[in-house]
Amino acid sequence: MSRRPGLSPALGFGLLAAAGVAVPVLTRDSYYLDVATTLLMNLVLTLSLRLEMSTGQLNMAHISFMGVGAYASALLVTRAGWSFWGSLAVAPLVAALVAVPVGRIALRVSGPYYFLITFAFLEVLRLFFNNFFVDYLGGPSGLVEIPRPHPLPLSGGAIGFAGKLPQYWLMYALFLLAAAVLIRLEYSRFGLVASAIRQRDLLAETLGVDIIRYKLGVFVLGSFFAGLVGVFFAHSHQVLHSSDFGLEPMVLLVVFTVIGGAQSVWGPVVGTLVLAVTSELLRELHHYEILVYGAVLMVVMLVCPEGLVSLPGRIAHALTRRRDAKAAAVGARVAP
Amino acid sequence: MALGLTLIFSILDIINFAHGEFYMLGGFVTYYAFAVFGVNYFLTLVLAVLVVGGAGVLAERVVFRHLRGKTLNAFIVSLGLLWVLQASAQLSFGVLDKSVPSAVSGIVRVFGLVISRERLVVIVTASALITALYLFLKFARTGQAMRAVAQDPDAAALQGVNIEAVSALGFGVGCALAGAAGALLAPVFAVSPTMGALPVVKAFIIIIVGGMGSLPGAVLGGLLLGAVEGIGTLFMTSAAVNMLGFLVVIAILLVRPRGLLGVA
Amino acid sequence: MTPRRSLAILIVLAFAVAGPGPAPAAEKTLTIGLLGPLSGGAASYGVELQRGAEMRTDEINKAGGLKVGGDVYKIKLVAYDHKAQAAEAATATNKLVFQDKVKYIIGNAVGATCNAAQTITEPNKVMFSFVCWGTANLAPEKPYSFRSMLSQWELAEPFYRWVKENHPKVKRVAVISPNDTSGKDTNTAVVKALKGLAFEVTADEYYERGTKDFYPVLTKLLAQKPDMIDVAAAPAGEAGLILKQAMELGFKGAKGWTAGTNPFTIIGVAGREAAEGVWSPANINVKSEHVNSAVRKFGEAYEKRYGEVPGVIAVANFAAFDVFTQAMQRAGSVETDRVLEVLTKERFETVWGPLVIGGKETYGIDRQFLYPLVISEVREGKIVDITQVLPAALKKK
Repeated sequence: MSRRPGLSPALGFGLLAAAGVAVPVLTRDSYYLDVATTLLMNLVLTLSLRLEMSTGQLNMAHISFMGVGAYASALLVTRAGWSFWGSLAVAPLVAALVAVPVGRIALRVSGPYYFLITFAFLEVLRLFFNNFFVDYLGGPSGLVEIPRPHPLPLSGGAIGFAGKLPQYWLMYALFLLAAAVLIRLEYSRFGLVASAIRQRDLLAETLGVDIIRYKLGVFVLGSFFAGLVGVFFAHSHQVLHSSDFGLEPMVLLVVFTVIGGAQSVWGPVVGTLVLAVTSELLRELHHYEILVYGAVLMVVMLVCPEGLVSLPGRIAHALTRRRDAKAAAVGARVAP
Repeated sequence: MALGLTLIFSILDIINFAHGEFYMLGGFVTYYAFAVFGVNYFLTLVLAVLVVGGAGVLAERVVFRHLRGKTLNAFIVSLGLLWVLQASAQLSFGVLDKSVPSAVSGIVRVFGLVISRERLVVIVTASALITALYLFLKFARTGQAMRAVAQDPDAAALQGVNIEAVSALGFGVGCALAGAAGALLAPVFAVSPTMGALPVVKAFIIIIVGGMGSLPGAVLGGLLLGAVEGIGTLFMTSAAVNMLGFLVVIAILLVRPRGLLGVA
Repeated sequence: MTPRRSLAILIVLAFAVAGPGPAPAAEKTLTIGLLGPLSGGAASYGVELQRGAEMRTDEINKAGGLKVGGDVYKIKLVAYDHKAQAAEAATATNKLVFQDKVKYIIGNAVGATCNAAQTITEPNKVMFSFVCWGTANLAPEKPYSFRSMLSQWELAEPFYRWVKENHPKVKRVAVISPNDTSGKDTNTAVVKALKGLAFEVTADEYYERGTKDFYPVLTKLLAQKPDMIDVAAAPAGEAGLILKQAMELGFKGAKGWTAGTNPFTIIGVAGREAAEGVWSPANINVKSEHVNSAVRKFGEAYEKRYGEVPGVIAVANFAAFDVFTQAMQRAGSVETDRVLEVLTKERFETVWGPLVIGGKETYGIDRQFLYPLVISEVREGKIVDITQVLPAALKKK
């Protein structure tokens, strides 16, 4: 359910915002800043993916719209000579625009078929980035030499974005914007309708909700935010390659979201934070990295199928039961 | 390959991304039994089916049993399983492609078409497996039970079908088919820890096209995909052909949302 | 989720983010980074890079360390997996440069990841050597980047000149590569060399990496009746399959492998019959009687340690470690700018034989490792070296 008594939206948002400010206070190390920046990008992606999932369907082409935003912005800046800031405003709209026909087509099917048709779109778009208009999109070599965000002119001079720190702040600002919108939506009528749709299409429809239009709206909005991340990605990484928008990174987004818990708006937040830190720690393991990571996923899904957000509740529940001398409930469910 | 996936999907509602890894496992069983220890090829085939089928049953009992009805969770778990299996294979079997010598060699000409004997064996065995599976599901009691579970688990349970056993068996048979595919194709191609990645994507396309949960559909989908790719390659680059495959998927889903032979 | 819970998570995160930095070392340690696809489809490249590096690192450390000027350094190798993805490569490079504070990254493969890593190594003046084949990876504006393996640009021309001189019957050549950076760049170089030498190019074809069934694409390729198929940038497993299936479809012409990486695997995969007669200018046969004793010894030690025969990438990265550490010793310093000066001016003795760093004619800057190439042919399941050729640029040096 979307309404959880535990955490008020304002408090949760405040905590996230504060944590975001805390990072550069705690460290100026470029590596940590880079990890934190990537984390914020992933947070926007998972939050917007979760928005789409809140209507009960998993969009496997989500990351493709990040790609659309990224490539659009790279082209606008390098070919059309736009400023980064103009592109930042327009390229996400391009992603949203592309999402309209794709969403219209994909939403004609539902359930696992939706999963598979969006997967097909993911591959079509990836192959498109990889093989078509090679002169413009870079083809299999990747699109290179994308400039950093241009300095932002202000009355007292200009803010440059060459370093990791200003880039972090820029992403932080984008993140706050996206998180504010997405969290606000979750706790609005919008969120309620979404969960109504998730639980029963038909019922929602009889209550006067135009489901397809609704789902399409969610799809386009989610794609807009993915495109926004794409713009930042293009100009902070400066190199684009079709593999960045393929199945593997997409699957990671799904993993982040589901491990955290797709039921709650805080799920993707927890999942992204925990797994990003885990994967950075596991990097030292080389060949065993992917092995351990895979095992972690399996164990988490078996122990708490509702995702990590459900863990505190479950523990509390289990403790109460133990107090009531109805023990062993946890053990039985934990042991595979 | 696609058949196994269809079976698992229809019975258990699981999108099993680790299916390709069972295929890989079948390939490696063949490599070790046949190429390294010199066991008879057809015996190896049986061995691969048993080992991989066993591994499938094990996976269902230990892991997927707990996730029945939770498609998304099962999907994530199958992904975890994929990584675990792939990384383990890389650590224990090495990273280089291993080759399996052909059990039969030479080529034959059928109506002017050139085909290697090796591939002929694959085609014949695969057809036999498909037929056997079809007959099993249609007529054997256990097979009928499987179909019943696929259609409506609750109703099946009420009729006295042991859902636990049928699910495990279904998963096992599905994996065993992947194992058989791995064993059959090991000499034609080569075996490597990542050999499962591409076939599983193809298998997914095939089931979408054919109709999810429909076995004849999977066969039809396989033939159709083969035809599209074969003809497409003559006129286009390989990248465009791959894209075409996915566009066909999208088109078919739009015209027949349940696939060519899928049931609503 | 309760507020307390989220607070706890944030605190944990804050600790993780602020976590322990690199510990001060008691003895002098030189940390050298390595990137590569250590998992997934391209894992064999990454693993060979890592093994080659490990072999040289262990040799140095066992001998007591690397003497540079008045100091003795133990070498610490840090390798990260980028899973063949550009974005992952950028993160891994960030970690190497900013957290592990490496000044040398020796070893990377897969084209797009090299581009991504260079956006970090170049501005931070980190020496970066790789086996990526992208032409643009070496450029005057990238002074800290090196290619430690001969690329298609050095190989294709001398190879086809040899074909023309020794096999005049070969006139029509079909070229096939995987559809990615290295494939495209390799085909481009091969086609350019072919046209320059007045061959006819019947096909300039690509397939998706991971393909196992080449019947469709081969049917199209063979319809043009080429005299020779060059499986240019195909990795050993796929190259083997192409040759095997081409034979099944009745192809009887000459076979080449301009950018071959592991000759033993291709024989294994293609089978003796189909691999018979494959020419390659890039292979290194560590078991050949023609290679120098240093490579043979390396090959034996490698096979003993890892149970697999080293391919050209393992040898290349072993040699790259060798060259860089030799350069440090000669410079009497591990400062990158001083090492850079030695690297571009001097000649090195390596497992390849004599080696210089050149390539200005092609890339506008001398950053390409140049060493003698050996053209080999597969005969009855064995790799036989036929002749040794110097790349054009090496002759001038």
